[in-house]
Amino acid sequence: MKNWKSVLTGILVFALLPAVAQDKYFTRTGKISFVSKGVIETISAKHNSVTCVLDTKSGQIQFAVLMRGFEFRKALMQEHFNENYVESDKYPKATFKGDITNNNAIDYSKEGTYNANVKGKLTLHGETRDVESAGTIVVKNGRLTASADFNILLSDYRIRIPAVVKDNISNTVNITVDCPMEPLKN
Amino acid sequence: MSKRKIIISVLILVVAAAAVYSYKEFTRTNKDLRYVKPQVTIEADSLIREFTVNDSVADHKYRNKIIAVHGMVKGIDSADGQYTIAMGDTNILSSLRFSMDTSSAIKAAAVQRGMSITVKGAITGFKKDETGLLGDDIEFNRCVIQQE
Repeated sequence: MKNWKSVLTGILVFALLPAVAQDKYFTRTGKISFVSKGVIETISAKHNSVTCVLDTKSGQIQFAVLMRGFEFRKALMQEHFNENYVESDKYPKATFKGDITNNNAIDYSKEGTYNANVKGKLTLHGETRDVESAGTIVVKNGRLTASADFNILLSDYRIRIPAVVKDNISNTVNITVDCPMEPLKN
Repeated sequence: MSKRKIIISVLILVVAAAAVYSYKEFTRTNKDLRYVKPQVTIEADSLIREFTVNDSVADHKYRNKIIAVHGMVKGIDSADGQYTIAMGDTNILSSLRFSMDTSSAIKAAAVQRGMSITVKGAITGFKKDETGLLGDDIEFNRCVIQQE
């Protein structure tokens, strides 16, 4: 009888494991890009190595990017970005930690496109600010894709624009995030 | 030729040279790493160990360097023609992650788990895992597969 109880417990644990593991989704190859539209020139860059972890049960979501991973079309822009603006040596990483505030409205077990309201703290250039954005979660083929589009102000993160190029560089930067995620298997 | 004409000619030459230099510098793109000699050649396990022991020392040592890393492929991700090769010990979570340049897409597509290869790339840094779920990563950009 005792043996039967152990076997039953074992079966239950193994049956529940995939469900527990499927609560969390992740990627290390998410994409983020930004655009700053100045009067003379548009500055843009992309990043293909965004780490993102989403806990579908709690709605907690985290992003992390290495600042040196942003790729620009022009090498000089990339050098100025790292050395003079975001000071990548001093502040190598940007992170976002937050929650999907309407997580209950998203059915992660059913395929579809859901609106997701995200609220949290963005840390960039050593400064942490509250950020709120409307995004989407797409559930398809057992995978999730989290996308968002929002604006930040460089001045909020103490990123100074030299006076000589002030007219060329906008203080407002548009950020686009696109993270296809797979279930995290422990 | 009068002295004045010589001075004007030299000035024009200097301004023209400065204009050409500025234009070239302004439009300069990142170097194609297929044609760049690596500043460091190292085994994957050694590099991971260095960052695991002391990431700030290792970061300072390798910052902005072009590095050729030899090791075993533990995974490959692809999406929209963009390949990322993960290298390192399959028994630990931490990896070296190489975001491949599009010039190496065909070669990257042929890479399989368990293969032993050398990848050359620009190191972008150490990403410490704050979730405790994924392991720490050392990331590279503009990577190409180096001929053995």
